[in-house]
Amino acid sequence: MWKVYKYTLIDLARNKFVAGWMLLLLAISLGLFQLEDQPVKAMLSLSQVLLALVPLVSSVFTIVYLYDAMEFTELLAVQPLRRSKILSGQMLALGTALVLGALLGAGIPLVAFLPNGASFTLILACVMLTLVFVAIGSLIAIKNREKARGVGLGLVVWFLFVLVYDAVLLWVMFAFSDYPIEPWIVPLAALDPIDLGRIMVLLKVDLAAMMGYSGAVYEKFFGNVRGILVSLAALMAWVAIPSLFAFRAFGRKDL
Amino acid sequence: MTGNRAGHRVAALLLVLWATGPLVARTWTVGPDGVHKKLAVALASAEPHDTIRVLQGTYSEGTLTIDRPLTLIGIGRPVIDGGRQGDVLVITAPDVTVQGFVVRGTLLSNIDDNAGIKVKKSDNVKILDNVLEHCFFAIHVSNSRNTVVAGNSVLGDPDEIETRQANGIHLWRCSGAEVVDNVSQDHRDGIYFEFVTDSHVRRNKSMRNSRYGLHFMFSHRDTYSDNLFTENGAGVAVMYSKEVEMRRNRFISNRGASSYGLLLKEINDVVIDSNQFINNTTGMLVDGCNRAEVNGNIFQANGWALRLFANATDGRFTGNSFIGNTFDMSTNGNPVYNSFSGNYWDRYQGYDLEHDGTGDVPFRPVSLFAMVNERMPYAVVLSRSLLTQLLDRAERLVPSMTPPGLEDDKPLMRSPHGTRNL
Repeated sequence: MWKVYKYTLIDLARNKFVAGWMLLLLAISLGLFQLEDQPVKAMLSLSQVLLALVPLVSSVFTIVYLYDAMEFTELLAVQPLRRSKILSGQMLALGTALVLGALLGAGIPLVAFLPNGASFTLILACVMLTLVFVAIGSLIAIKNREKARGVGLGLVVWFLFVLVYDAVLLWVMFAFSDYPIEPWIVPLAALDPIDLGRIMVLLKVDLAAMMGYSGAVYEKFFGNVRGILVSLAALMAWVAIPSLFAFRAFGRKDL
Repeated sequence: MTGNRAGHRVAALLLVLWATGPLVARTWTVGPDGVHKKLAVALASAEPHDTIRVLQGTYSEGTLTIDRPLTLIGIGRPVIDGGRQGDVLVITAPDVTVQGFVVRGTLLSNIDDNAGIKVKKSDNVKILDNVLEHCFFAIHVSNSRNTVVAGNSVLGDPDEIETRQANGIHLWRCSGAEVVDNVSQDHRDGIYFEFVTDSHVRRNKSMRNSRYGLHFMFSHRDTYSDNLFTENGAGVAVMYSKEVEMRRNRFISNRGASSYGLLLKEINDVVIDSNQFINNTTGMLVDGCNRAEVNGNIFQANGWALRLFANATDGRFTGNSFIGNTFDMSTNGNPVYNSFSGNYWDRYQGYDLEHDGTGDVPFRPVSLFAMVNERMPYAVVLSRSLLTQLLDRAERLVPSMTPPGLEDDKPLMRSPHGTRNL
């Protein structure tokens, strides 16, 4: 596994894309922090960009990379290697490269310009979202033989999570506003990994508003570190479950 | 004839001297090892305008009453313990000064409003540099003029439930009071004024009180400056008063469903200048308030920086900074009879072609998502999502739901308060 990891990582380092991703993030972060009068405002704008962009790039790049590496994967598969080792090596390498890209590109400016809890939470959310969408991307790439179809599906899934799900959630809130749906809103939001990452950041920057509404459930949830921990656990589940399916699919796949 | 007149004068002078008693006031010393061991005895035998020095020690003598103008000075912070029998120190005479004591142990009674130091119908009383602990009411002043309450530490019991708590510094029907440099915490209301006029509240810290940090009603022409109100159960609420000035106060971290940095209810002619509202669920709620001048304040990291109800009129908001709030403003109707001009809004995305420091397109502080939240508070979990961003942006392009006319016509491009971090 570690050999696959090593060689995939070396390949990713040669691939200009990850470096480009890092530079793009760096440009966005530095640009926002220098453009905005208020570092807080820059951080909030950056959080919006990152929460949308990180999942998109992570999943699409994972899908494209896994398709492009298909020949190498086939070569590996004929070696006396367990398939799960091959995939875990590749996924770990992808995760490492993209997380490093996010940490260097967005993490360093955030820590440099606004070293507070909100910034660190945002970095943590980015790291987790990268891993989640590497897992989802892997699953998509393995499940679909055609590259265009895989990339398309990756885009659809991203769009679903970044926008459509929230729209449906808002519609549900409107439609059922006569019913006591308050306790269900946060669990429902937790079904969307991007929402989870966003809520983690909200817990740091908008806690005052979160404490504002009367649901005692929320006060418990939002009032302390538990909110962050629960979100983190849910995000980990979001890494684990698609990975599990990816491994199963890869194990059975006719290469 | 002249000699006779001079004689009269001398006689008159002597008469005056005799009538006013010894002109040089005596100083008494009470202490556990001295001649006078009991404070009560000294209080009963002192002549008006005497000074009583009280040495270090604990004086448990039940309720003590000061019924003549005296100066009580604690040396080495002596303790007056009321033993939970009623009030601890009752002042019923004018020109009394009580300085440097620890006062503790009132009875808990809602009928008698028991207090650590109670001032009744006495003018020019000074309560200075005392520590009040385990009291129901701590300092309770009623029907008195020109009271000075300064430098006291009022420490309640944080574990007591609200119904067994009373106010830290409580003034009722007073005028010309000065409440300065006190700390009031873990009571019901930190500072409570009712029918208190022409008074000043300066440099106090009121924190962790179970209800309000500052609470006043029917209290006109008062000024509140440089105070800190933080972590109070419901923040600060002020009601039914006019000609109030609030300057350079800090309203910080008042969080909860019905918690406000500052709640203004039926306040007329109020000046709110250079205050800081940070990290509150609602920074400022304005309900039925006429002619509020809100200038140069900072609203930062609040849930709702400003909630302006439609029954507020003629408010003027200028030079304020709104930074990092979840919602800059929300309303229950259309409060167009208020004007916004020259404020800094961190959400403003307009441009400044003339470079005069103000944006060329107006800013509408009430977002669509804020209106949605007014109806469904739990929608707050969607804040800062791409969806709400798009909705807000669409609404700004084609306003349909947000109150028309409610806009800042000259939004500032830069915050007048400089760069600020969370």
